[in-house]
Amino acid sequence: MERDIPQSALDIYGAQSALEPAGFGAAIVFDLTFAMTVAFGTVFVGVMLLVWLAWRRDRPARHWWVWSGGIVLPVVSILVLMVASTAALVAMTRSDDTALVVDVTGHQFWWDLVYDPDGLAVRDANEMVLPAGRPVTLRLQSADVIHSFWVPSLSGKMDMIPGRVNTLTLTATEPGRYRGQCAEFCGLSHPRMAFEVVVLEPAAFDRWLIRTAGEARDAARPELLRGRQVFIDYGCAACHAVRGVATGARLGPDLTRVGARGSLGAGMWRMNQGNLAGWIADVGDMKPGAKMPSYNHLSGPDLRAVSAWLVSLK
Amino acid sequence: MARTKAYAVGIALTGAALAAMVWSAGRPGHGMAARLVAHLAVVADAAFGDVAGWLRSGAADGQPDWASAAQDVWQGDADRGAALMVHYGCGSCHVIPGVTGARGSVGPGLGGFADRAYVGGVLPNEPAGLVRWLIDPPLHSPQTAMPDLGVDEADARDMAAYLYTLRGG
Repeated sequence: MERDIPQSALDIYGAQSALEPAGFGAAIVFDLTFAMTVAFGTVFVGVMLLVWLAWRRDRPARHWWVWSGGIVLPVVSILVLMVASTAALVAMTRSDDTALVVDVTGHQFWWDLVYDPDGLAVRDANEMVLPAGRPVTLRLQSADVIHSFWVPSLSGKMDMIPGRVNTLTLTATEPGRYRGQCAEFCGLSHPRMAFEVVVLEPAAFDRWLIRTAGEARDAARPELLRGRQVFIDYGCAACHAVRGVATGARLGPDLTRVGARGSLGAGMWRMNQGNLAGWIADVGDMKPGAKMPSYNHLSGPDLRAVSAWLVSLK
Repeated sequence: MARTKAYAVGIALTGAALAAMVWSAGRPGHGMAARLVAHLAVVADAAFGDVAGWLRSGAADGQPDWASAAQDVWQGDADRGAALMVHYGCGSCHVIPGVTGARGSVGPGLGGFADRAYVGGVLPNEPAGLVRWLIDPPLHSPQTAMPDLGVDEADARDMAAYLYTLRGG
């Protein structure tokens, strides 16, 4: 079941499309948009027909037409639209006390995630895993500038504003892999601030959460051991946490299960050792404006070892 | 009369079968028909294409193009190789003309690769050397920064075939 989902949202056409809803909120927005398009298309065609008729006849229009077409019809249709969209908004923003809580903090240019912050408090980054059919309340915050959280396939967007917490409750309905994107200009690499969303069956999600709450996988080969040592020696742990190796750092994404993510650099490149090595050696080129320095002073074997170790963290 | 009818039915059925083959060949990678058409294309190419090419290039000035012949990768599919380079993430370190997003500056640019003398500075730039390098770079150059990307031989052949299409850098 979990294997049916492709390895990365970068391999899925339509993984970031509001026209293929896979969540409660996105479905409502899609239905509303569809109904509005049909209704107003009909009105438009009707008006054009009347214009054509008016041109053909020489007589002036009757008062009845002006009243019904010019005042009654717009008032009624706008009222209907207002009621429908308000109802949709109420349904989409309804909070649920039983929902799983995930703290999402926007950084330039990545996403910090904490699942169940008042309980297990599992920290992860840049790939959000959600249970299908279960409401999830996202507490959206920002560590620097204004960002905006948007997964078009699942729900509407919500701004992340420094100094306050915006909540967005969403329910994913279809297991699969989707892509989200920062939807508010936030700096040089704003267009490269994306993320992946993996929706699992509820039981699989519970297993995933318990497994992820644990420590990182052990280094099982000499090269991986060397990679772990490079990670510590070169000070990577000052910004990145890997549970079981170096904890506490929060300046950069948590790397405890970095190798299990579908993509690298916040939803931008496929996760593999080639991209990861290139990333470590030249972050500034791949993601201009990112705070991580380029580690091009690592020796070749050290670069290979540390990238191999990180990819092995699944 | 009956024979004419039989001919007509036969021609109609053949036409329908041909139409079905063309239709299924148009769908990417599906069915026997697609494979048959691809095979026929290869046969036709071998029978006529290469002869025409040979007449045009080699025989015309009396000098076959030995350089390209020496870089002909056995069973290498250059188009698949270009897609594999995206898959393996080569573009994070190398500029590779024609490969989506390949603009890295960590390693050398691969434009004009067919004209290089060495692979990774250690192996002669011929198909066997390049394929071996792609499968396990650190095996041949212990200090290299290029990781072993877990490339198998078939994938290495396809990527090598693509690299040898890059000329004149």
